[in-house]
Amino acid sequence: MIILDDDRLEFHFPEVHKESRCTIEFQRTLRIPDDGRDYPLPPGLGAFPLRHLDDYAARLPDNWRRRGGVIAPMHQAEALWINFTSRYPFAVKLATGKICAITGDTWVDHLNRDPQDYVVLPEQPWLDGYCVEEGIVRQFVAMPLGEGYTVEEQLTGAAVHGGLQFVAFPMKAERYEALMAGRPEFEPGVMYAPDCAEEAPMGLAPGGRMKQEVYDDPYGLDAWDQRHASRCFVSLVNSAQWVTITGELPPTEPPSAQFYAEYGLPWFEYYGGDSQVVAGSETLGRLKSVSEHAEATGGAPLPGNDPVSVDHVIALGKSRGRRVRESVIGAGSDQG
Amino acid sequence: MTHFGPTIRDIRERLRRDDRSYSVRQVARRVGIEPAYLSKIERSEVAPPSEATTVRLAQELGEDPDVMLALAGKVSADLQAIIRKRPRLFADLIRQLKEVPDEAVLRVVREVRDGKW
Repeated sequence: MIILDDDRLEFHFPEVHKESRCTIEFQRTLRIPDDGRDYPLPPGLGAFPLRHLDDYAARLPDNWRRRGGVIAPMHQAEALWINFTSRYPFAVKLATGKICAITGDTWVDHLNRDPQDYVVLPEQPWLDGYCVEEGIVRQFVAMPLGEGYTVEEQLTGAAVHGGLQFVAFPMKAERYEALMAGRPEFEPGVMYAPDCAEEAPMGLAPGGRMKQEVYDDPYGLDAWDQRHASRCFVSLVNSAQWVTITGELPPTEPPSAQFYAEYGLPWFEYYGGDSQVVAGSETLGRLKSVSEHAEATGGAPLPGNDPVSVDHVIALGKSRGRRVRESVIGAGSDQG
Repeated sequence: MTHFGPTIRDIRERLRRDDRSYSVRQVARRVGIEPAYLSKIERSEVAPPSEATTVRLAQELGEDPDVMLALAGKVSADLQAIIRKRPRLFADLIRQLKEVPDEAVLRVVREVRDGKW
């Protein structure tokens, strides 16, 4: 089952194992330049708000209601990354517009190993974009559906689903117990609201390139309990739709990469140690990025796309317990 | 006397084995407290810190804030506010559920509905 807690999706499988839980959160971030260079990972700027779609069903058309899940607001051309938190091992599939973000294949509910169409938690702490090459992803960038930018439209020629889709599979309980026994104690959519019909719905498109590895499954397909799965459709609405639907203001737009870099704020790199890495999808690698698509179609280029100089990179790694990826730690003094 | 301090120390020391930035000094700096204060917390020489500090410590150490607050003998302010708003209802609910297995408790929690897509 999935519950919504403090803007996070919490996946629980108590029927599999009492420790079988993981969380998925969508982090706001700056959009990196889409200029062909490979950038380090941008910071997290706080979680996108998530709401039960059912709470606003009266303001939504039937095809939205049928999907269930949650809704989240994104500004046009805003970027996101996905934050995974888990101690229990999970296989998680994720797609945008029902196209797998790892392989570029059309969505299916089950796991595939060759090529691997899922990420493994906790090995994979984050995913920032489409896996286009070994060690390279193209950033998830929100664009209106119907203009041809999204991965879904580029691959299917249609703008039908939009949004983000997830399914999580826990490790089989007996495999988890065996794994733990060998460790020391402490090791551990297409949116169309009647009230804002003139607004274009939102999907995700490939943005700039950044260095991020997607790790190969070290356990094998047999480790995952595919009899137990929880799915979620995350519908993306633009800022105006969000206000109309929920009555709430969306988060402010993040700063530009240029602004961020000028202040010398940190970027991030993650090292997975000896972990094997998936090759990346040739299908996804052939797609046009947002800038390339705009150039090819005579569309307006996105602002803030000039190259930036990255001087301050914080290295995080598998062997390190701390995986905090924030731009500023705003902790004040507190003596109790 | 709670197990809060020793637990914090154990977790921090475990993380420090792989990452030297988990020294008392550096963790205290990131959390926004004095190293001497964190050291006293770990040795249970002072009471567990405020809710805000406990939550920041939990986040810094990768632990669940609610679990750490419970270990510190506290309940988060947002949970207290929820109970105060409908005290009879939530007091009854919590008492009714106190011995129920986790799986059954989760059945009364609101689930994100999956539909057809």
